[in-house]
Amino acid sequence: MKKLFLSTLVLISFYAKAQNTYDIDKIPAELLKDASVVERYEQQVFEIKNQSTATYTYKTAISILNKNGENASSMAEFYNRFSSIHNLKAAMYDAKGNKIKEYKSSDFKDRSAISDGSIYEDGRMKQLDFLNTSFPYTIEYSYTKEYTGITGYPSWYPVSEFGHALEKSEYIFRIPENMTFKYLKSTGLKTDSVKLKDKIEYKWSCSNIKALEYEPLSTGLRNVMPWVNVAPNQFEYDNTAGNLENWKNVGLWLNNINNDPQLLPPNVKSKVAALIAEAKTPSEKIAKLYNYLQSNTRYVSVQLGIGGFKPTAADKVASVNYGDCKALSNYMKALLKEADINSYLTVIGYDMPSMNPNFASLNQANHMILCVPLQKDTIWLECTSQHAPMGYLGEGCANKNVLLVTPEGGKLVRTPLYKPEDNFQKRKIKVDMTEQGTANIVINTEYGAAQFDDNFSMTLREPTEQRKRLMNNLGIPNIELNTISYVQPEKNKPLLKEDISLKSSQLLSKGADKLLLTLNLLNRRERVPPKMENRKTYFSVPFGYQDEDEIVYTLPKGYQVEFLPKEVVIESEFGKYTAKAVVKDNTIVYTRTQTMNNRKYAPEKYNSIVDFYKKIYQSDKVKGVLAKVN
Amino acid sequence: MKKNVVLFFLLLAGTTSIYAQQKPISPKTFKYGKIEPAEFETKVSGADSAARGIKLFDVGRCWFEVSSKTGSFVHKFERHVRYKVMNKTGYDLADFEIPLYQSTTGGSEEKLEFMDAAAYNMENGKMVVSKITKDAKFSEKKDKNRSIKKFTLPNVKEGTIVEYRYKIVSDFIFELPTWYFQSSVPTLYSEFDIVIPEYLKYKPAVNGYVPIQQIKKEQINTSYYIPSTGTSTSAGNIQATALEVKYAAENVPAIKKEAFITTVEDYISKIEYELTATQYPGSMYKDFSSSWPKIVKELTEEDKFGKFLSRNGYSKSTLPALLKEEKDPELKTELIFNYVKNNLKWNDRYGIYTSSNNPKSVFEQKSGNTADINLSLCNMLNEGGIKAYPVLISTRQNGTHPGYPLLSKFNSVIVLAEVAGKTHLLDATDKHLASDLISTENLCHQGLKVDPENQVAEWVSLEESIPSKNNIYYSLTLGEDNKLTGMLFLSYTKYAALRQRSKYTAATNEADYLKDFKKDKSGLEISNYKIENLNSPNELLTETMNVTIEDNTEEAGNLTLLSPLLFDRTKENPFKLEERNYPVDFAYPIEENFRITIEFPKSYKLEKLPANGKVKLPNNEASFTYLFATEDNKVSITSKINILKSVFSAEEYHSLKELFKNIVEKQAQQIVFKKS
Repeated sequence: MKKLFLSTLVLISFYAKAQNTYDIDKIPAELLKDASVVERYEQQVFEIKNQSTATYTYKTAISILNKNGENASSMAEFYNRFSSIHNLKAAMYDAKGNKIKEYKSSDFKDRSAISDGSIYEDGRMKQLDFLNTSFPYTIEYSYTKEYTGITGYPSWYPVSEFGHALEKSEYIFRIPENMTFKYLKSTGLKTDSVKLKDKIEYKWSCSNIKALEYEPLSTGLRNVMPWVNVAPNQFEYDNTAGNLENWKNVGLWLNNINNDPQLLPPNVKSKVAALIAEAKTPSEKIAKLYNYLQSNTRYVSVQLGIGGFKPTAADKVASVNYGDCKALSNYMKALLKEADINSYLTVIGYDMPSMNPNFASLNQANHMILCVPLQKDTIWLECTSQHAPMGYLGEGCANKNVLLVTPEGGKLVRTPLYKPEDNFQKRKIKVDMTEQGTANIVINTEYGAAQFDDNFSMTLREPTEQRKRLMNNLGIPNIELNTISYVQPEKNKPLLKEDISLKSSQLLSKGADKLLLTLNLLNRRERVPPKMENRKTYFSVPFGYQDEDEIVYTLPKGYQVEFLPKEVVIESEFGKYTAKAVVKDNTIVYTRTQTMNNRKYAPEKYNSIVDFYKKIYQSDKVKGVLAKVN
Repeated sequence: MKKNVVLFFLLLAGTTSIYAQQKPISPKTFKYGKIEPAEFETKVSGADSAARGIKLFDVGRCWFEVSSKTGSFVHKFERHVRYKVMNKTGYDLADFEIPLYQSTTGGSEEKLEFMDAAAYNMENGKMVVSKITKDAKFSEKKDKNRSIKKFTLPNVKEGTIVEYRYKIVSDFIFELPTWYFQSSVPTLYSEFDIVIPEYLKYKPAVNGYVPIQQIKKEQINTSYYIPSTGTSTSAGNIQATALEVKYAAENVPAIKKEAFITTVEDYISKIEYELTATQYPGSMYKDFSSSWPKIVKELTEEDKFGKFLSRNGYSKSTLPALLKEEKDPELKTELIFNYVKNNLKWNDRYGIYTSSNNPKSVFEQKSGNTADINLSLCNMLNEGGIKAYPVLISTRQNGTHPGYPLLSKFNSVIVLAEVAGKTHLLDATDKHLASDLISTENLCHQGLKVDPENQVAEWVSLEESIPSKNNIYYSLTLGEDNKLTGMLFLSYTKYAALRQRSKYTAATNEADYLKDFKKDKSGLEISNYKIENLNSPNELLTETMNVTIEDNTEEAGNLTLLSPLLFDRTKENPFKLEERNYPVDFAYPIEENFRITIEFPKSYKLEKLPANGKVKLPNNEASFTYLFATEDNKVSITSKINILKSVFSAEEYHSLKELFKNIVEKQAQQIVFKKS
């Protein structure tokens, strides 16, 4: 009797305690500073049974402090044919930590999860939005995910956003003794491991992490926050088994699953023969075949099971003339092979970090291209684009480690880097000004590489749409567009020519004694990011580039130059800027150059780049003064 | 007699909404798979000459059958459409989607009965047919109600013709498929044919700016096969009459989006249907929504509308503690309005029907769609002795309601309350909303007030007549170092205040808000920031701060130049198109008052000042005033933009564009100081 009473008491006190666990007042004050969200508690447990099965258990409680944190007020987990989600539970607590709502399993939405640009995938998701009218509040949810096929292990990155603080998070990873794996972790993070019965348990944890205020141009929080990447060495998925110990083996697996005979139908074979009949060099042949690919196939993405890794066979692509990046790269490879040109399927992380040479895993890539090694150089083919110039990869694929899939296994190589002078913008403008304040303006611009990419879509737009865009983007007041032309002079070169002529009905004020002329007509830096003290994260310029502008202003009749600014030269490790205006006969010739280096910079350099930008901003808006001749 | 009702409506539609056109369209027929060589040469001239594709034809047919499964009418919809892909941008025309709906209760569904598609290429003078392959058909189950059938065609390149034909059977006879005569590519021929049995009455609604012709309308004799279902009658045909109507349009331009519109759906040419009545043999005539009183009756009896409004258990148990002894109707309304705003979170969904059966479960959920929230509000107000009515709305995104009795076009609901002899519009979906300040999306010009008690409905204006003001006042001193220092006073009313309140509360904290505030105001530094009435949406929202402004003057020799509008210059004319076919819809009237006074150093002289000016639209519905005054070493500039009504017609477009051209020009002018 007495015993029973005691245990009831314990239960009650436990209950009372549980009720208040999520009281907002219990959050240490320093964690509230600059925070919209405080992760109160997070635990993820990944327990591997064997190479194809594992259980993932996830639990979390998150306090949403204000409206800015509302994005975190939801739960979403993905699953597919090789995984399922069970034991979904969720609840919401008020500021005092009292439970105000418990969710039923029917409150979780089950919906398809097909990525943008894909027509069909087998991915689905369980999803729940937590909604509350007043802040702060706390949400809590948990679930279990069962895997029956594995291509990777979950990573752990408990604080990945600005404005998020964390009280406690842990990742428990259990693997059978007879299996090996690998991990990468943030510097200074401790790894605990213990031996259980027939498994080894690893544990990483962190606690009391303060929120970081938003930092512009940031390359991410990885250098300041804890994280762990874990990856299998052996795995089984959709009736295949593979070894991922190193990149060579990853390449071997990819090569081995791509085991279709890759036969081309006779009509395509004769087409290839006809296309290359006149071509003399391998690169001419490649150009002919790549052009054939671009004008006869289109991108259609379907990802099902192993189809996420294995290309559709070439004969199938030949019969429908569409496919995803793997199918089209593989088809192009077959076309080249028919022309006796050897090539390699290449796995790449488009817009992702470069592949880590010392850590092989399948989740460092999301795309496939084709590598064609020639005697002197290497040609890279982006096979999903109907427009890309042959051999041009674009910034999303440039300058990174990629994996060539060869019969001998994977080989890590590096894609080309586009230098600032490759990513150019060369512009010549003529401005003929009149006494009435109007001006006829002709703008001739050439865009190279990355800047070609930025502007190429203009060539695909209808003329009315081109006009609308230009009206929006050209910062010249009161314009009427006359002619617009976009030409890519050579199909195989990332070079775009833009020619625009227009009239401004009022560039200068009418008939005044003094006229003010903003010398930099188009290419002005309009904004400067704010300075910050104690910046923590690295920053970068997305890509290096070089702009050269020359503007020739013909003076309005009856006016002469009264003032022109001095020449400006600004040099720093970030790049170089020059601006100069000179009078020549009845014209002002303004020239401006800006070269930006493509680099990642340490946090403490941030205020220097702000200064650099600020100087450019100031120089870009200087005006010349014209005065009426009496 | 009953038949005449339908005829009358069709006639009405025929005279009001369908344009008269000189040249009658003769109906065309097309056979699946039969492509004329000339079709490969099709081109379009004019504004659409560079279109990514051309819709060669689009022919739809809708008719009724009796379901062998349920014994009820179902409708069938068959469509045959053919495109020519003009360039690579038009490859999307080779992917086709058919969305299907399935109700979670009762087993009613839309089903794809048949689908075929092919691509055609001209190769060396011979047409090559590529049929859709089995593995190119997909079925995506979006969620428990929605699925999408997806198709993708092989062998598509520039110049390919693609063709689709499919048939859908639907249990949902309340809504027939909407037929679009216009799409994002130009259409050469579009036709819709519908055969409605005498037992069903539908009301068509024609919309858009493209001429649509009714090329056929006749009574036809037909028969319907009635299957035997369970215990009921034995199978057999019944003879009946039906009304067949056919609409067509030719050479329809592509629809293009423009700025300041409600939604493109308001301008696209289409025809929609709503069931108004049924009269099955041997059954009573059942009227659905052929009049407002019918709609009101239906809504009143609806579990998730009228009955929801009368389930007062939650109100009865909550109001005593909330209202206590409060007698004043204004204050009671305020208490209830705030209670709902503070306890229910909007889930970003619109609806005229609640998702829960009673207010109690809505409050347990703590969140809901617009109907859950505003009908709960209505329920509580009535229980609290405040006369309140639901007002049905078609939101701006949902498109303008055509005005005649058509229930399905409404997609949201707000509340009209009669408080102490005055009426107020209430919308509790956002904390920052106030009495007579409904969310912008609900500003659709008119709403339907439903009075369940007296079984009537009437249109009420939602037009906001009071401009939303944004007042900006700078009082600054210009130093010899060309730095500006002083005070900034900002105040906002109505929608301007709503926008600012939302911005402020969306930030992590005040510092974060100020960072965002300064983001596009280069050179501005702020101290002593104060915001007042943030959480009192009925009051004037004000912000005051001390400012220092650097880098906003320019020096040219001994001249110092300054753009007096500082950060509030209208830099671009929002109206860029040469011509506009649609009205300009600002949603609410706007007033922007900017004033700056600058005290400059004694050593400076004013060299150049912009000229005063006033530009206005005829009858003063929009105007711009620009004034400056100078006294000793002080100069002040006032810029005032007034947009006094929310909608301007397409005819007024040019004067509006001209007005903004003036604003951009005037506000760009600089003051010039000369240093002595």
